[in-house]
Amino acid sequence: MIISENRRPRVSFFMFLVLGLLLVFGCAEPQMEGTPEEVLERAWKYYALGEFNAAIGEFTLLKEAVLPDDPFYAQALYGLGTTWNLRRPRNDPDTAREYYLAVLEHRPGGELAAYSLLALARMKHLVPVGQDPDYDEVRDAYRRVVDQFPDHPAGHEAFIYLQSTHVATLDPDHARKAIHALRDFMARYPDTGFISAAWSLKAIAYDTLGDPDNKLTAEIMAFKTEEVDPQNPFHDNAWRYWSIAVVAEFDAGDFETARTYYRRLIEEYPTDIRKYSATQALERMDEKEAHLRAHIAAQDKGGAP
Amino acid sequence: MKKFWTTCRTHFALIVVGTVFLWSCVAIALYRAAESPPGAIVLRIGHWQLEASVREALEQMAEEYRKIHPNVHIVQDAIPEMVYGQWTTTQLLGGTAPDILQVGLGQLPYHLWVQYYNRYCVPLTAHVNDPNPYNEGTGLEGVPLRSTFKDGMRSSYIEEMQEYVSIPLSQFGVRVFYNRDLLKRLTGLDEAPTEYRAFLAACEEIKKHTNERGQPYIPIAGSRYHLPMWEDMLFNPLTYGIKRLADFNRDGFVGNDELFVAIKTGRIDFQHPSIRLRFRMLREITDHFQEGYTGLTRDEAVFLFAQERAVFMSTGTWDARSLQEQAEDRFEVGVMDFPRPTRDDPVYGDVMEGPQYERVMGGFPFAIIRTSEHHGQALDFLLFLAGQEQNEELNRIIGWIPSVVGTELDPLLSAFEPHLEGVYGNFQINLGGETWVRWLQLYTLYQVNQISYDDMVATFEPFYKERGMTDLAEQQKDWRRAMHNNEQFLAGFRAEALLSKGDEALSNWIRYRTLTTSRQIWPEINRARQVRLLEKGPDLDAVGPYEYSPAVVDRVKERLKREMAGS
Repeated sequence: MIISENRRPRVSFFMFLVLGLLLVFGCAEPQMEGTPEEVLERAWKYYALGEFNAAIGEFTLLKEAVLPDDPFYAQALYGLGTTWNLRRPRNDPDTAREYYLAVLEHRPGGELAAYSLLALARMKHLVPVGQDPDYDEVRDAYRRVVDQFPDHPAGHEAFIYLQSTHVATLDPDHARKAIHALRDFMARYPDTGFISAAWSLKAIAYDTLGDPDNKLTAEIMAFKTEEVDPQNPFHDNAWRYWSIAVVAEFDAGDFETARTYYRRLIEEYPTDIRKYSATQALERMDEKEAHLRAHIAAQDKGGAP
Repeated sequence: MKKFWTTCRTHFALIVVGTVFLWSCVAIALYRAAESPPGAIVLRIGHWQLEASVREALEQMAEEYRKIHPNVHIVQDAIPEMVYGQWTTTQLLGGTAPDILQVGLGQLPYHLWVQYYNRYCVPLTAHVNDPNPYNEGTGLEGVPLRSTFKDGMRSSYIEEMQEYVSIPLSQFGVRVFYNRDLLKRLTGLDEAPTEYRAFLAACEEIKKHTNERGQPYIPIAGSRYHLPMWEDMLFNPLTYGIKRLADFNRDGFVGNDELFVAIKTGRIDFQHPSIRLRFRMLREITDHFQEGYTGLTRDEAVFLFAQERAVFMSTGTWDARSLQEQAEDRFEVGVMDFPRPTRDDPVYGDVMEGPQYERVMGGFPFAIIRTSEHHGQALDFLLFLAGQEQNEELNRIIGWIPSVVGTELDPLLSAFEPHLEGVYGNFQINLGGETWVRWLQLYTLYQVNQISYDDMVATFEPFYKERGMTDLAEQQKDWRRAMHNNEQFLAGFRAEALLSKGDEALSNWIRYRTLTTSRQIWPEINRARQVRLLEKGPDLDAVGPYEYSPAVVDRVKERLKREMAGS
């Protein structure tokens, strides 16, 4: 196409105009699509699907679209902190820490502050592969969550993690300390969602102390206080039954309890792999008792000791 | 004109390629149009079962379904197993996956499948407690969907997601197939012997005979594909008893770490009857395989069986129909359980405690893909295939075992009824790294009788004891990596719980707490126990894990005394 000389300036003008508009719209900030609730939900969906860049994009849009005193602002900060903390690859612990601290600054007493403080503690606990955590630091971090949010579920979760670090040492002194703390916790928060976990930790601590009776009681309580998800029908207690039964049989010598739980396994989980072993266990206990009865009867009659 | 022909000659190859391309475009377009008339709902179903009977069965079930839903057309994408992993990945990533997809092929690692389930599959949890409408009028009417399956849909539940993602349409098992006519001709037996000694005697008898070409008959058709079936079903259960000495945490299983500690500390060794006899049995059975079986593939063994050169062959339900078809009009196929020694067997009696335990696990599982435009219809078609009558019919045509309870199966497959009570192997020698490589080298030599058991052990045991700790430590690094992954998905669960309300929130928080406890708290404690066991070893003065300590015996005795005094 041939353009006459006198039309060239106008063409140039329009070309510049188009380019300018493209530049303006091309560089314009992307707009948030939907309500803050929708954006937040979308951002977490991306996170769950492992689309971390998209999640960061949505959280950032949300952060920039609302005012700092809006609750969604803290939600966005928490989402950004979590994504930078836990995305793999290209996680950025420093950036994550900044976002978590920002949540604590903006909403110091809020729910997300509790989970941000817990996340900071978890960052100290979950060190890279090949390293060991500094357990004193880790415990201090969990204690901070417990102290600042004693009645909040995040505080309870931090408490359980804290006690697990003691129990995992398998050291009697740590075990005693954990039992004491867990006892107080259970008395204070009998309805906490972590009550079953607390009983299980106690069972391990009693195992470390060589106290089979309390260990068995704790194992049974851990089972009895276990939460059952009403929307998830699949709940396999077979391993719990097995675990209680072997503790009762071999640690506590409580054959009746052992029989109860071996039988529950056989009856409620007839296709479980341990069914054969449970049947064998019932026979083994019967035989042992028969042998001991004969022995006692012989002793009573003044026979062989 | 001359110029035209010159051009044609010059660009002949290009023209041919172009023409073929155009032709294929037209052919595909016409084919697709025929498959999916305008306005019809087309459901594509992708799977890796190339067996003719599977495609035929799905086709027939689709026809049946169309009688109820005339507007729904089912199109199969049958993809060879060898490329199914790549194909699935490409289709899912490209957003072009079929509406319904067979999932779980071992070619892709499990963690990748979990990601695919999470990203691309529609969770079915909301439907598993609802009755299957296609069970109306049957004994399963009103029964929750998950309870209509023999495995309770256990195989469909993905713990990492706390969701059900697939529907299993069949059940699988492994047994020994045999040529009834050949067995009768060579041994005079009408039925294959399922007792070990009688089975070996039959094999010996078979070996003495040759066919009309002078070729010797082979008792058992084997290959590197078939050997693991014999190992799992017959040899490994002999090692069940190791549990009594080495299951230090009493969870019912001997882990590779526990076996290592037990051997390193001398609690047991490779001369333990359970272990030694496991390898003796391997020798006795594989002596009846054809020579060089470890270098052969599945097809080569099947060929021997189909050509009536071999009498027995181990394989699964998936081969039942094709073996029957290959044998048609020539010989009758029988199916038997693996030949186990009896409890009074002079050699194996003490270590053969029972049949191999078999977990009932549904197979042939299908998931619905998120990109499908017809989720509801796809689910409905899967429910149709999972209806009691339809599932029986589907599997009858294929020649497989139905996954739904109360269904009847082909008489040939009755021998596949799983052993729901039994023993299992406890010889977990794999520590990874160099010890595993060394073991595989030596074990391969043993399999082909180039090294004796004692020589194999003499070479391996010192190396295992010396190097095992290093390899195990390396393998255990995955533990902390798993903690990071768990933390990632738990944060997602927590966010979901924080955003939800009412019953949904309650459920989400329970899931979150359950997973937090099981995934992030116990592994660290279990790891601490494992490290202690590896570093300090078991208390050698203490009784075995399944033996009563004197203190326990005293307690029981005291109680019995009280009871006897009271009575």
